[in-house]
Amino acid sequence: MFLARASAGLILWAAGFSLLYGLHGLGCASDWNEVQVAGGTLFRWLLVSTWMLLCLGAAAVIRLARAAPSGLERRLSVTSAAAGLAAILITGAPVVLTSACV
Amino acid sequence: MTALRRHRALTAIWGWPEGWRGLIVSVNHSDIGKRFILTAFAFFAIGGGLAMLIRAQLATPGSAFVGPEIYNQLFTMHGSIMMFLFAIPLFEGLALYLLPKMLGSRDMAFPRLSAYGWWCYLFGGMILIAALALGVAPDGGWFMYTPLSSKAFTPGINADVWLLGITFVEISAIAAAVEIAVTILKLRAPGMRLDRMPLFAWYLLVTALMMIVAFPPLILASVLLEVERAFDWPFFDPGRGGSPLLWQHLFWLFGHPEVYIIFLPAAGVVSTVLPVMARTEILGYGWIIAALLALGFLSFGLWVHHMFTTGIPHMALGFFSAASALVAIPTGLQIFAWIGTLWNGRPEMKLPMLYLVGFFLVFVLGGLTGVMLAMVPFDMQAHDTHFVVAHLHYVLVGGFIFPMLAGAYYWLPHFTGRRRIPLLGEAAFWLILVGFNLTFFLMHLTGLLGMPRRIHTYPAETGWTWLNLLSSAGSFVMAFGFALFAIDAALQVFLSRRSRRNPWGGGTLEWAMPIPAPAYNFASLPQVEDREPLAADAALALKLARGEGYLAEARHGWRETMAVDTTTGAIDHVVLLPGNTRLPLLTAAVTGGFFLCLLFGFYWLSLVPLAGVMALAWHWAWMLGWREDIGPVPIGNGQAAPVHHEAPGAPGWWGSVFLLVADGTMLASLLFGYAFLWVVAPNWPPPALIEGGVVSGLVAAAAAMAGAALARRTLTAIMAGSPRTGRFASAVAAGAQAVVILALLSLGVTALPPPQSHAYAAASWALITYGAVHALIALLCIAFVRTRIASGHVSSTRSLEPSVARLFNDYSGTAVLIVLVCVLAPAVVR
Repeated sequence: MFLARASAGLILWAAGFSLLYGLHGLGCASDWNEVQVAGGTLFRWLLVSTWMLLCLGAAAVIRLARAAPSGLERRLSVTSAAAGLAAILITGAPVVLTSACV
Repeated sequence: MTALRRHRALTAIWGWPEGWRGLIVSVNHSDIGKRFILTAFAFFAIGGGLAMLIRAQLATPGSAFVGPEIYNQLFTMHGSIMMFLFAIPLFEGLALYLLPKMLGSRDMAFPRLSAYGWWCYLFGGMILIAALALGVAPDGGWFMYTPLSSKAFTPGINADVWLLGITFVEISAIAAAVEIAVTILKLRAPGMRLDRMPLFAWYLLVTALMMIVAFPPLILASVLLEVERAFDWPFFDPGRGGSPLLWQHLFWLFGHPEVYIIFLPAAGVVSTVLPVMARTEILGYGWIIAALLALGFLSFGLWVHHMFTTGIPHMALGFFSAASALVAIPTGLQIFAWIGTLWNGRPEMKLPMLYLVGFFLVFVLGGLTGVMLAMVPFDMQAHDTHFVVAHLHYVLVGGFIFPMLAGAYYWLPHFTGRRRIPLLGEAAFWLILVGFNLTFFLMHLTGLLGMPRRIHTYPAETGWTWLNLLSSAGSFVMAFGFALFAIDAALQVFLSRRSRRNPWGGGTLEWAMPIPAPAYNFASLPQVEDREPLAADAALALKLARGEGYLAEARHGWRETMAVDTTTGAIDHVVLLPGNTRLPLLTAAVTGGFFLCLLFGFYWLSLVPLAGVMALAWHWAWMLGWREDIGPVPIGNGQAAPVHHEAPGAPGWWGSVFLLVADGTMLASLLFGYAFLWVVAPNWPPPALIEGGVVSGLVAAAAAMAGAALARRTLTAIMAGSPRTGRFASAVAAGAQAVVILALLSLGVTALPPPQSHAYAAASWALITYGAVHALIALLCIAFVRTRIASGHVSSTRSLEPSVARLFNDYSGTAVLIVLVCVLAPAVVR
């Protein structure tokens, strides 16, 4: 339990990173970037909203981590949750910064 | 009992015979750890010799020293040996030798598995070296890219040697990873909470967990490529819906975490040795663990940076470029913690510290070029040039060899009981440091001047001549340094004077014993109250020798050690470890027979050693346990604890969990491959999809669920004291698993296109095979339980075996359902 709690934020990053990469491959193969929705493409909206949800989830993990047993377990949980949020923010940023399928 | 009598009694229990018999039957962790280390250095010498030949070839333009065919074998084997036969086994050996001593235990959790791992490593390595001697060594580069390594372009057995030999060695790596993880989590001294655990153990725990997740993709990739080469299943053939990029993904899913798997144990050595050299405590214990966890996860998000030039869209490049740059932060955090420790302390420039200074210099340079290569535009320019060769050597030699040599000098007195001869080690250090930088710093420049890697020669007009000549001269200087290190170590073993105990003043438990270490490590096991128990209590070694700790009594010939709660370190139970046996050697030899049959194309004959492995595994498990309950046994200090067969959460249960995690990663990798082919590979959709098979699928699914439910029923019946019900439920569960196998095979034969026709069919067949193999494993597990109930080995108290069988049946049931969903989806959707 100690290790699971201490890694929760990073586990979320790993799952989110895989999800974004998987969606990207699927979206490009299915031409979602050519479907226009609300001034953007379906592809872009989907990826950006997934990224935002992941960020919110990571923020929630930080909040939960503060309830871990005190001592090293709490410090590790909070630190890795913060690291997870930072990692999701940075590694997910290409969804708004780069071209989609080129 | 006097200390001397206790020593003799415990040595009789934990020791091993002299000579050849000892070599064959020993399972003791100190012995096996030393064997791993010596074997790794022997392979290092071979790999280093190959490097000398490479540099001799490249020293001058137009060299006729070796031709391209031999040169291809040289660099492929150099990389493969250094990665698979040197680096990983070396830290495994160090872990096997040191971990129980640092954790206050008497051995690893699965001693026979350690020995089996070493024999597999030795035999697998010998296959590769024999191929080298016979001139049929692998020649497609250490990452074996398809289509170069496919049958069309490598028709000989060169690639098969790599695929089968390395997979054989990987068995050893997975075995070691499971064992290291379980040992760290369960076999610590009482009182050693996770936050009191030595940092070295933290590093190895994260490394072991990474190995459990990282190695299965490589094993899967090797199996798929070998099946393509042997049976023409076109996983990687774009003409039939396969994709060479699938190989690259699976390989680097393993390959990049591998870099950190190699670096982290060496960083653990730094975190252990550096504070002792600085005469202070490590700075930022908690921060270092947080950095370790971050590294462990982030390192799995970098693999595509090896594939930046394969035409991947910008957004995907962005994901992996960002992750590649991000990983520098936790690495940098550790570097700052080490610098802060030096700043806090009073460092002494003893030999291990000298190597640590070398590590700082070389590794930081390698890290900086790593950040450069993480940037896509720069990588596009430097890809496949000698710049990359320079970078990876700075990272691997700086991040692994320098710390390991620091560790070697630090712990050699522990191995030998002797002190070193002055100045030889210092001379070796300077030769290695100067030679290394001369060789590889210049290689950055040859790379930037455009020299590609893996070319066997170059014309003089390129302007690379002097840089290459100096690199080659540097490599020979470095080789002299390593030779001097070997001589220094040998002199210490055979000629030096006795060392005093704890010569460096270390605070961790491995120094709380006589040196060289006795076979049992500790005469009695300590109660740990501090992160550095020896620093907190200078008389601890004496107290333990006097029998003032746990399990001081040598009784019944039992090999006893303590197991604790994974987090709190509270006493959990007593583990009774198996003694000396030749079973690991026999099992490894038969496993080797299986791989050799595949290598030489005797596919039907390979079923014989495969059946042999299953029979030996059965015998392996059968040798453990009792037919009667023992109850709690006294452990000293007025306390008692149950033995592991009668306690929940025994090491065997934990080992099974980690093995299934590795297995689950392999299934996830296979599903990734299946999805990747559907989405990305050319020549899709396939000419023929699955036709029918829904009925067979439903039968397989129902039987798989029934098998899992009945295995659970077996366990509950046993726990309730109803062996008759347990026997019946287990027999029916075995029958259900047999139905799963038949239904899956029926589905494949009647509904799927031939696997040679298209990658879709090949991948579907691979999924079906995975499900059937796991149903067979579940069947064997539950049949074993059925037999053990009948023989009286299982009772309501002794329920470890049914609980392990339940795990495997649960996993098999879940895996079969996932496989069926994937395979039947095209039929259902259509």
